[in-house]
Amino acid sequence: MNPTAITVATTFAPFLAFAVALLFFMKRPVLAKAIVLLGGLVSVVGSLMLLAGGPREPVRFLWFASGDVALRFGFLYDGLSLSFGAVVAVITFCIQVYSIGYMAHDPAKTRFFAMLGLFGWAMLGFVYSVDLLQAFIFWELVGLASFFLIGFWYEKPSAAAAAKKAFIMTRVGDVGLFIGILIILNSVGIFDIPALLDPETGLRAALSPGMLTIVMLLIFVGIMGKSAQFPLHTWLPDAMEGPTPVSALLHSATMVAAGVYLFARLNPLFMASETTLLTVLYISTFTAILSSTVAMVERDIKKVLAYSSISQLGFMLMALAAGGFFAGVFHLITHALFKALLFLCAGSYIHHLETNDMEEIGRRGGRKMRWTTVGLVIGGGALAGIPPLAGFFSKEEIFAALSHRGILIFQAGAFAAAFLTAYYTFRMIFLILLPARTEEPAHAHGHGNDSPLPMLAPIMLLTLAAAGVGFGGGWLARLLDVEREHHAITSMLPAIGIVLAGVALAWWDFGRRAATRTGFITAVKPLHTLFTNKWYVDAFYANVVARLTDMLAGLLQTVENKGFDDSFDGAARGVVETGSFTAKLQSGWVQSYAAVAIAMMSILGIYLGLR
Amino acid sequence: MGFPVLTFILLCPTLALLVIMATPASRVSFVRWTAAVSSALSLALSVFVWLGYDAAAGGLQFEEIVPWVPSVGITYHMAVDGYGVALLMLNSLVYFAGVLTMWDLSLRVKEYFAFMILLVIGVYGVFMTQDLFFFFFFYEIAVVPMYPLILIWGSTRKEYAAMKLMLFLLAGSALLFPALLAIYHEAGLGTFSLVALAQHEFTREFQIFVYPFAYVGFGVLAGMFPFHGWSPTGHVAAPSAVSMLHAGVLMKLGAFGVLAVCVRLLPDGAVYWAPIFAGFAAAGVVYGAFVALKQTDFKFVIGFSSVSHMGIVLLGINLGVMGIASADAFNGAVFQMFAHGIMTALFFSTVGFIYDRAHSKTIADFGGLGSQMPRAVSIFIVAGLCGAGLPGLASFWPEMLVFLAAMKTVPFIGVCIIAALVVTALYVLRVFEQAFFGPPNPKWNSLRDLEGWEVFPRALLVAVLLFFGFAPRAMLDLIGSSTNLLAAGF
Amino acid sequence: MTLTAFLLAGLLLFTLGLTTVLSRRNQIAILVGIELMMSAASLNFLAFNRFVAPDPAVGQIVALVIIGLAAAEVSIFLSILMVVYRAHHGITVEEIRELKG
Repeated sequence: MNPTAITVATTFAPFLAFAVALLFFMKRPVLAKAIVLLGGLVSVVGSLMLLAGGPREPVRFLWFASGDVALRFGFLYDGLSLSFGAVVAVITFCIQVYSIGYMAHDPAKTRFFAMLGLFGWAMLGFVYSVDLLQAFIFWELVGLASFFLIGFWYEKPSAAAAAKKAFIMTRVGDVGLFIGILIILNSVGIFDIPALLDPETGLRAALSPGMLTIVMLLIFVGIMGKSAQFPLHTWLPDAMEGPTPVSALLHSATMVAAGVYLFARLNPLFMASETTLLTVLYISTFTAILSSTVAMVERDIKKVLAYSSISQLGFMLMALAAGGFFAGVFHLITHALFKALLFLCAGSYIHHLETNDMEEIGRRGGRKMRWTTVGLVIGGGALAGIPPLAGFFSKEEIFAALSHRGILIFQAGAFAAAFLTAYYTFRMIFLILLPARTEEPAHAHGHGNDSPLPMLAPIMLLTLAAAGVGFGGGWLARLLDVEREHHAITSMLPAIGIVLAGVALAWWDFGRRAATRTGFITAVKPLHTLFTNKWYVDAFYANVVARLTDMLAGLLQTVENKGFDDSFDGAARGVVETGSFTAKLQSGWVQSYAAVAIAMMSILGIYLGLR
Repeated sequence: MGFPVLTFILLCPTLALLVIMATPASRVSFVRWTAAVSSALSLALSVFVWLGYDAAAGGLQFEEIVPWVPSVGITYHMAVDGYGVALLMLNSLVYFAGVLTMWDLSLRVKEYFAFMILLVIGVYGVFMTQDLFFFFFFYEIAVVPMYPLILIWGSTRKEYAAMKLMLFLLAGSALLFPALLAIYHEAGLGTFSLVALAQHEFTREFQIFVYPFAYVGFGVLAGMFPFHGWSPTGHVAAPSAVSMLHAGVLMKLGAFGVLAVCVRLLPDGAVYWAPIFAGFAAAGVVYGAFVALKQTDFKFVIGFSSVSHMGIVLLGINLGVMGIASADAFNGAVFQMFAHGIMTALFFSTVGFIYDRAHSKTIADFGGLGSQMPRAVSIFIVAGLCGAGLPGLASFWPEMLVFLAAMKTVPFIGVCIIAALVVTALYVLRVFEQAFFGPPNPKWNSLRDLEGWEVFPRALLVAVLLFFGFAPRAMLDLIGSSTNLLAAGF
Repeated sequence: MTLTAFLLAGLLLFTLGLTTVLSRRNQIAILVGIELMMSAASLNFLAFNRFVAPDPAVGQIVALVIIGLAAAEVSIFLSILMVVYRAHHGITVEEIRELKG
């Protein structure tokens, strides 16, 4: 079959499902569900067929022509897009299936499934984009789907506020990205990604190094917004207001990874700008550590996972910026799988036990939900980097990449973040698995000991993936067409050691029978305060940025009312007043008019007579 | 000369006006149907013109020339170029949707439709005439009915708004009229024909002197910062369909005038003044967005968003004149006129509906309206997202083109207006959050949502936005040849 | 009798008329003043006609036209005054000042 047709089907099937569900099946959630699932299935099959077909030449067609700008949109088939596209399609489908169970009791199911369809379309469209502007369009549409899904329960003010915050903060990043890509268009006249990457004729040849740095930094601003890097990261924890399947799909596995994907897509260009790479390294390392520390003290399971996503995205960017293209992409894919798994497990607990609090989950008998708990442990192990689960291999690659780069501070940062990751992950596992005192579980739905099958099936599938996908590194490297060096077991030892140390500390703090269950960080008061307040970034936005914006708007509003309006009103009033002043000259007395007229005529007569 | 389709487009509303005036005021439904039929016919003819326009050839087509007053050189010369076709279509769509939006009006129906149709006639005339005299004639016809329309059928400080609007627009005309006469006189050709005048080379000094008069004269109607004050007030006070026509079409007359008269006849003046006017336009973009952030009334938010979006149109025109990315800038300006017209029409149509039901347009009065009026709110959200420049909806493309031209021509302005996108998103989402999301206000539980045919005009506009959002070529192919011609002069 | 004597008489008549128009409050009196001024004009025409004009008929014709005009004017003026009287119950100029600014 023609690959273009397959791609069109893969990307547009979810869109069709979205449109049909929203337009015709608003009142028939079952049909809407079915059609969205069908669309998701088409995407899975299509993306897997494309993946099986392997890399080939991109296709393009003219979309837009204005003046000397001609945009040719199309699809790109290289290892990166094929592998990530398949991952996106599969996870999207898994989560659609999962949502059948999770959203079973929600009255607005159609809207939910339709929006999942919208997201599937936008995300797949983004992944396969051959044109930078096309990618930007889908990037924005992904943000739109995220807005609707975070605000799905829009009657909750916190959800509405979180949706707005997510949209605005990513928009801030998008402004940078937009400026960046417009500069690209203005300097080389094309948006075609393969052409831009060309070392001879592409962007590197067209721009001076300084300009290239500016452009890449601007693009990185967009990545910071989408992939939630400091200081534009605060929307992601708030985005947990959305339903858990959404958090699993958008806000951990796929959408937030779009930024990393874009980095990988433009990797050669980033590599050409040393300043940008250093900036990225600093920001991503800092983000990884910052978010790990917050995850250490959070009690809400979704928030822990959200901060963990931020930190793992930081890891990926560190890897990419350190030149570890393969490491970054590998971690992107493994993370998508195991983090989706973790969120689905969290959703399973939340759905079944009706609480987000980890201690509460433990107390209400979370561990009795067998499959969910297996998923949590495997996924958590993968996140922490326990060998031989998926995360271990990809993190190993990242450490290797950073050691090649050879800047000590980043290596140290990565180790610290990995240690903290292991610590907070196992804190979560121990809190749920080994609760302080067990009470009888309060069964929310009164049946079974675990969530229903539509929720468990994706969990099981992703558990297998999280356990096994780490061994696919060699295959992925071949697909991406990169050399992958073999790591000796001895070089892996420090990483394993650091992870085990993290796990041990978590055991000491939360696992053992006599544990205090407060965490070692409570001993250091100032740090604990800093972490529980999320490093005051949110407070800074709320108190400084939001207020400044508000003040500026208020100032301009005053200018509008007091300046423009009043001055124009004043001018109009001046005219009226002049009129009423001159009107006083009109006495209405006919004789005075006559006298004036005669006097004037006499003066005129005298003047003419004397002339 | 073939079938005089442009005259027929003009005749549809004109005949409807005559019929309505001859109808007794009590026969309300006949009046409505007359208006609806005439608007549907004009829409059909506009589609015919759109399809029949040979975009590859470009230039003026569908010409009709009848001498009118030969002694002073006034000719009934009707013809459209690419962007004229687009704007005719815009006017037809808004007219059609506007008539349907006001279907439930009960106060002085006959007079209302008579004035509204008079306005539409004027707008049609401006978009198709190629004679300076008729241009000004139709221009005034379009402007004047606003006064009674707002005064009689308006709300919220309607006397003030009507007077303010009238004073601003007539002040604009007062600048404009001498400028147009000066152009006629200076050329010394004894003709008002725009085609002939466009070929005449005016001296540079004359152009530089006259251009600001003409530009500001038209600019007032286009909501040019800092002479935009009439427009939000007017939008707020006017009844829904009048707001639709007003923001959707009438403001485009100003921008169209700048493009079709000022830039076309006085290119040197345009080049001379472009940096200053581009600065004003860009200031308007940013300023409108920030002020919209502070509004408490739905319609004021939209009103200031119009100032902001029309700033993009004027900016596009001025950037086009500067000659570095002319075609893109002109394309952006014209496309934005169209997209913004449809978008604001949709906004006002929906807000008008909510206002008619709830008798309130204060944002803070609502909250959680999404679950009470899901259809109306969904449609409003589409319009809002279009306003925020989201891809997939029509206004993304023109904004991108103008941004592109700005980045190329004056990077500073480019960065400022792209950054203003954040503010735009902020004011749009603020309305969503405060009025549509959150816990539903029980006060509005009994409100009826859009039902049946009421959805139709709004759905039509949504469909247009989506269509051009996905297929920008449909628009750019149409206007491209004409804007290229225009851009070739700079 | 010289031309100067007639002109002086005319001037006197005109001044009297003008003074009447400007000083009297009763509109009938003002009408009388206007009549006096018109008579002064007629007198001037006739005097010039008698002493300097080559064609003796023109001045007389003009004088006749003025007489006719005066008659028409009086009738219109009086009919307006009737209406004014009905509306304002008086015909002095102080009372009729609706155009006061």
